[in-house]
Amino acid sequence: MARVRTTGNPPVVVAIVLAVVAAGAAGWGGWSRYDAAHDDSAAYAQARDDVLAAGEQAVQNMNTLDHARLDKGLDRWEDSTTGDLHAQLVDGRDAFVKQIRAARTVSTAEVLSGAVTELDDRAGRAGVMVALRVTVTAPEGEPAVKESRMLGQLTRTSQGWKLSALGQAPVGNTAG
Amino acid sequence: MTPQETGGTTTTATGIEAGTEAGEPAEEQPVAGEPPPRGRSNLLRVLATVSALVLLATGGFLLSEGQRLRDTPATANRALTDTEATTRVIGDVSSALAKVFSYSPHDTAATEEAAKRLLAGEALRQYAALFGQVERQSADQKLTLTSQAVRAGVTRLSGDSAHLLVFLDQVYEREGRAATTAAAQLSVTARLRGGHWQIVEITSR
Repeated sequence: MARVRTTGNPPVVVAIVLAVVAAGAAGWGGWSRYDAAHDDSAAYAQARDDVLAAGEQAVQNMNTLDHARLDKGLDRWEDSTTGDLHAQLVDGRDAFVKQIRAARTVSTAEVLSGAVTELDDRAGRAGVMVALRVTVTAPEGEPAVKESRMLGQLTRTSQGWKLSALGQAPVGNTAG
Repeated sequence: MTPQETGGTTTTATGIEAGTEAGEPAEEQPVAGEPPPRGRSNLLRVLATVSALVLLATGGFLLSEGQRLRDTPATANRALTDTEATTRVIGDVSSALAKVFSYSPHDTAATEEAAKRLLAGEALRQYAALFGQVERQSADQKLTLTSQAVRAGVTRLSGDSAHLLVFLDQVYEREGRAATTAAAQLSVTARLRGGHWQIVEITSR
């Protein structure tokens, strides 16, 4: 019965072909969309960019402090960090406040360039290297400008990537 | 339901015709495949066309969505996502910087030779302008410079172009004096030529 109809009716053949093509297109599109959403390399690339943005901002924050707005600056330090580094900052805050109030310095930082050196997306750990220029202004004398190079470790938290370790990249340590 | 009933009015007409000609029972006639009634047939056709178009459109939309998700600015940058290429460019650039920024009074020719091979474009022009000075200084002051890339990271990587940040340690040794170490931070642009990364631009940070 179907054979009789299809051979005798070209529009039906066209319709069946169209239906198969349409179903195929929908299936292919659906698979492609699903695959893209579960594409690990796309998620990894996004995580890398997030790490760099968070890392550069955090390093800049950690090198910026105005004695006249000390609480705001130190709150930002604490917001930029997690883990041991965060704990150290909280513990040492009172002593540090006294020190900066006495010195009355203003530090500003400009990130010149940064790169992600390692990223473990699953473990939520990453490393960044940042070149920056720090300007320290004391109540007397000319502002001191120094180029600085830093290495940071970041850890993923529920509020995004935060610094868990930060230090100057060693100079003259040829073992590295 | 009997065939006559499903066939409707047209079937009844054929049934009469067949019956009169061949004397066969009317039940067999619908096998000839009489078209269903006009109205219903049109409705089916419209429904089939619409659903085919909807399926096609859905497929097309999902396909473009998938493409959009895959081709973001983040995925276009292959730094770290392509570990092999990332390691390769870091290795090539680090070793190139160590070679062109290392020289001794007896060996400036080797450094110049390396520079011609490892640098290109703007970087080579800058280097050539600087090198005459370096050669004289090295000979006059018996100065030896040894550079080493202590850390390098790739900021941006595409098929044949890369941007890197390199932390360089530079040890200066003058005959009869203690060595001093200086830190340099360089932004480097490199291009892949003939399977090797050449440095085309260096900016001191």
